[in-house]
Amino acid sequence: MLIKPDREDLRIVAFALGRIFTVIAAASLLPLGWAVLGREWHPFASFLLMIGTFAFLGQLGLRYRPSDERLDWSHGMVVVALTWLAVPTIGSIPFIFSGHYGGPVDAIFDAMSGLTTTGLALVQDLDHMAPSLNFWRHLLHFLGGQGIVIAALVLFAGGGGLTLYYGEARDERILPSVRSTARFIWAVALVHLVAGVLVLGVIAHQVLGFEWKRAFFHALMVFFAAFDTGGFAPQSTSLGYYHSGIFEFAATVLMIAGAMSFGLHYALWRGPRRALFKNLETRTILTTFTFTMVLTMVGLGVAGIYTSVQGLTRQGFFQIVSAHSGTGFATIPSSELATWGGLAFAGMTVAMALGGMASSTAGGIKALRIGLTVKAVANQTKQLLLPEGAVVSTQYFQSGRKRLTPELAQSAMTVALLYVALFLLGTGVALGYGYGVQEALFESVSAGASVGLSVGVTEPSMPMLLKLTYMFQMWAGRLEFVAVFALLGFIYAWVRGK
Amino acid sequence: MLVVMALLLALPGTALAQDGELVPVSGLLEDGARFDNVTITVEGELIGDYGFRDDGVMWTQINDDSYARDALVDGGPRTGANVGIGVRMPSTLGENLDPVGGYRLEGPLVQLTGVWRYHDPNRGGESYLDVAELLVLETGRRLEEGPDWTVFALGVLLLGISLVMWRRNRHLTADRH
Repeated sequence: MLIKPDREDLRIVAFALGRIFTVIAAASLLPLGWAVLGREWHPFASFLLMIGTFAFLGQLGLRYRPSDERLDWSHGMVVVALTWLAVPTIGSIPFIFSGHYGGPVDAIFDAMSGLTTTGLALVQDLDHMAPSLNFWRHLLHFLGGQGIVIAALVLFAGGGGLTLYYGEARDERILPSVRSTARFIWAVALVHLVAGVLVLGVIAHQVLGFEWKRAFFHALMVFFAAFDTGGFAPQSTSLGYYHSGIFEFAATVLMIAGAMSFGLHYALWRGPRRALFKNLETRTILTTFTFTMVLTMVGLGVAGIYTSVQGLTRQGFFQIVSAHSGTGFATIPSSELATWGGLAFAGMTVAMALGGMASSTAGGIKALRIGLTVKAVANQTKQLLLPEGAVVSTQYFQSGRKRLTPELAQSAMTVALLYVALFLLGTGVALGYGYGVQEALFESVSAGASVGLSVGVTEPSMPMLLKLTYMFQMWAGRLEFVAVFALLGFIYAWVRGK
Repeated sequence: MLVVMALLLALPGTALAQDGELVPVSGLLEDGARFDNVTITVEGELIGDYGFRDDGVMWTQINDDSYARDALVDGGPRTGANVGIGVRMPSTLGENLDPVGGYRLEGPLVQLTGVWRYHDPNRGGESYLDVAELLVLETGRRLEEGPDWTVFALGVLLLGISLVMWRRNRHLTADRH
């Protein structure tokens, strides 16, 4: 029998949401402060309304303190799914009132794209946008990439941290407790923030010749989007704006750092580093990166798109890192990316679908799942070829020796298949509106794998249903389905349960 | 011969580019190869930053979308995303320009003539306009954008209510303990 959630269940969810909204209200003081410093009074008023809404809903939730604050698995998943719906909705308030969006749906689309670190955008006249609003767009990347719920975990004690942590698609605990792991994740981000902004800012000033203030503005925005594999950029021409190989290289390093799992960051900080290359996930991502890069380069070479080796290498390498890491920066316009057919298109699309490492800020199927799936299929094949009764080793190395159980293999394959279904959903809707197969597939994979590269489908005049589909893809793809199914189950039990 | 000429005119993608031709930026983005190494003219707003580099050149961006003359802040209509390309010019050309376009700033409206470099092998495959001549059509100007008082009042009201609720929640928590 399906059990209907009772009042206590609702109180638990509301109270947890209240805490998270309070944290977001506090974080939203940053763009408000930016607006004050820049004397940007129009955005200031809308930031005030957004903070007021977060604070009001936060306090409303905190009124419903449950008798036991501990979250069980389903409560935690529902909280995460609702958080990732509510934050973009409320967070879009400054965008709605900015005049840069065709309507509330477009504004929520960009806020969802920002929070899920996707990078697809419906903003209009970005080049005249207020810096505080631009900062908020990029800060959403940072909050989403690092995990807003994790931020709440760092600030608030209380039970149920583990379920919230896993709900945000983090697969491994690096340190014994979830809180210490959450603290470590934010510490990694802050160290990279200081170093990344410093390097990018100095390059922007010394090499690109930007004024100091503008240099560090660009550095901060690009850092947020690169390290959190987001893909928004402060100017409409994305990273192509800078016309600088060294600036692109610095951004590439940050994109790769963002696509690395926080477990790998921990190992790099604390060692032993040699074991890293034994990890199934590291080997898988190096293999898939090499494979998709060769595919793309050969495709570009055969098509004769670039007439020089330097052009082919620089543009091909940057775009493929951007695609595989799930960032979505581009140094070429979307109209040009749309002309990359054949092998180059295949290489880019596969790279986007595969994504970065598990427990990183990247989206996509993730290297660990690909590695486990390939290993499981290889084991099955070996078993068939060997004499009956022969034993095939099911061990693999991932931060130590582990056993590939049938349940683990099934779980990896299920999530991979769900991603394929998600990609097909967006492709199907776009095909229904008359887009070509190539552009429909590319854009759908970009949305579902939280990448943000575009071949021109995503624009303000695109059909409303397609906007909603991409928003669903960004949300479900970023949360890796579990929290989404938990929310759907919760709603179903609420309606049909007894 | 007439048939060939008619075909060339009918297929704009294959028509040959004219030297000094006024080309919309959208045309360069859609079919950049067609204008490769051709001297063309582009009109639009200089926007973003002026990047004066050590090698004696200045890099910036030119947009020729509707916002170049009619920014959203100034009540212009929404017509989609920006349409721009990178431009490189000798530093001497860029030295006395008005402030570049951005928030509450309409940059100078200029006419640029230069060579379109498509996938320049000397610059790692970048595409940009290598400017030789610059003509200012309209000077830049500052734009005004005041606060929306209704939104401001709503925000203050919600924050006030939240503050009252926070105090009540604190009392409730203290009573429980």
